[in-house]
Amino acid sequence: MTYLFDPSNWEWIFAGKNARFMLEGFLVNLEIAIIAMTLSLVLGLALALLRISKQRVVGGVTGAWIDVWRNLPLIFIILFLFLWLPRGVRESYADLVPGFLPDVFKNGAFLAAIAGLTLYNSAVIAEIMRAGIKSLERGQGEAAAALGLPYWKSMRLIILPQGLRRMVPATVSQLITLNKDTTLVSIIGIQEVMRHARIVTNTSGSPFTGTGIDAPLLHVFIGVGVLFIIVNFGLSRLSRKLEIRQRERTGTDVESITGLEDQVALDTSTR
Amino acid sequence: MGELWEVLTRHFPEFRAGFLVTCTFVAVSFLIAMVVGTFVAALRVMPVRILQRIGTFYVETFRNIPLLVLLFLSFAGLRRAGIEIGRFTAGAGSLGLYTAAYVAEAIRSGVFAVGQGQIDASLSLGFTYPQTLRRVVLPQAVRTVIPPLGNLIIAMIKNSAIIGVALGLANDLLKTARIINSNTLQTTEVFFWAAVGYLLLTIPATFTVRYLEKKLAIKR
Repeated sequence: MTYLFDPSNWEWIFAGKNARFMLEGFLVNLEIAIIAMTLSLVLGLALALLRISKQRVVGGVTGAWIDVWRNLPLIFIILFLFLWLPRGVRESYADLVPGFLPDVFKNGAFLAAIAGLTLYNSAVIAEIMRAGIKSLERGQGEAAAALGLPYWKSMRLIILPQGLRRMVPATVSQLITLNKDTTLVSIIGIQEVMRHARIVTNTSGSPFTGTGIDAPLLHVFIGVGVLFIIVNFGLSRLSRKLEIRQRERTGTDVESITGLEDQVALDTSTR
Repeated sequence: MGELWEVLTRHFPEFRAGFLVTCTFVAVSFLIAMVVGTFVAALRVMPVRILQRIGTFYVETFRNIPLLVLLFLSFAGLRRAGIEIGRFTAGAGSLGLYTAAYVAEAIRSGVFAVGQGQIDASLSLGFTYPQTLRRVVLPQAVRTVIPPLGNLIIAMIKNSAIIGVALGLANDLLKTARIINSNTLQTTEVFFWAAVGYLLLTIPATFTVRYLEKKLAIKR
């Protein structure tokens, strides 16, 4: 305890550029989370629509695709893509990236990281969206059909707006999980907050850390944890607020799903 | 195709050992998660403000922190602080404590799903309080809690893969695949079999949870 609270063990925060360096690392995590989330939402919606397709084969194949990627560990997918993508592909990606983007994006491993996060999360989000669409009463689709709306129009105007709105809280809670999962890309060598933390604890060598002050590993990683808690706690508040607002607006009784791990978010809605 | 089988037959002992390590991690962590989770859920429903606060603090902390950070803290962090804990303890402990926060939430929502009206009705019918708990609250709470717990086990199987590669804490399935891959460079084949290993655990679990969800659902 004295070790934990000893002020000299916290001095590293104010030494040199340490605090700034850590925040820069954390920013990379947030950027990765935002890019991966955007891609996952688009791909997830496409997968969800294919999954509920009336064509049996299409629905079945998409279902299998979703189940496979959703049930593999995310770190497994990232590591596999990293090792499997030929060096040539990664290098040509690195050459293709426009120059104004931050340096981390130019790393070939970044492609594997984003692809892995997107494959996994789009499968999870497809399942969330499908559950939202399925949770609508049959009558909605039937009424749309009776009014003469073609399939895609009834989807776009009737089914999706209602179904997806119900799933907003679950999607936000998936965003929290995704935000935590961005730390996994440190394993394939992307310079984000975990890597920066390890550089800070290593007092010799790096231009950022030649401060001569010992940065204890325990304290640095507690600092990393606090950064995540702040952002994710804010997101989970947002998710709860959205849920309450939505319950008031629609009068539907969507059960509490805030902050539960991805798959848990599904079960309340599939009932 | 031939290569695929060859990789499996040649490295089967390693794959099996890694698979068993993954299973052990999941089993031990789940025990920890259940014990700690139940305790934290109990704290959160206690009528004492300060205990509730402690429970909430636990849940919000462990739920919002990445597992990777927990692993670093528990293994390398504590080691630097002079507290020696073993690799396995650090791995299973972190995964267990992380999942415990979710378990606590699942249990709490299960208990709250049983309405106060039912408890009042049961008491007014002359059941004693322990009888009410045993015959009215618990049977319904268990039915609500089991599907989310099943989902947490699935999440746990997937999260256990982080332990091995993050700090080299143990040779679980993914770490084993990585080692074999670095020796043979047959990435597709090696990772295919590792994927089969994980899917052998997660896909049956998914179907079981779906079945239980339907079977245990309380029709209202």
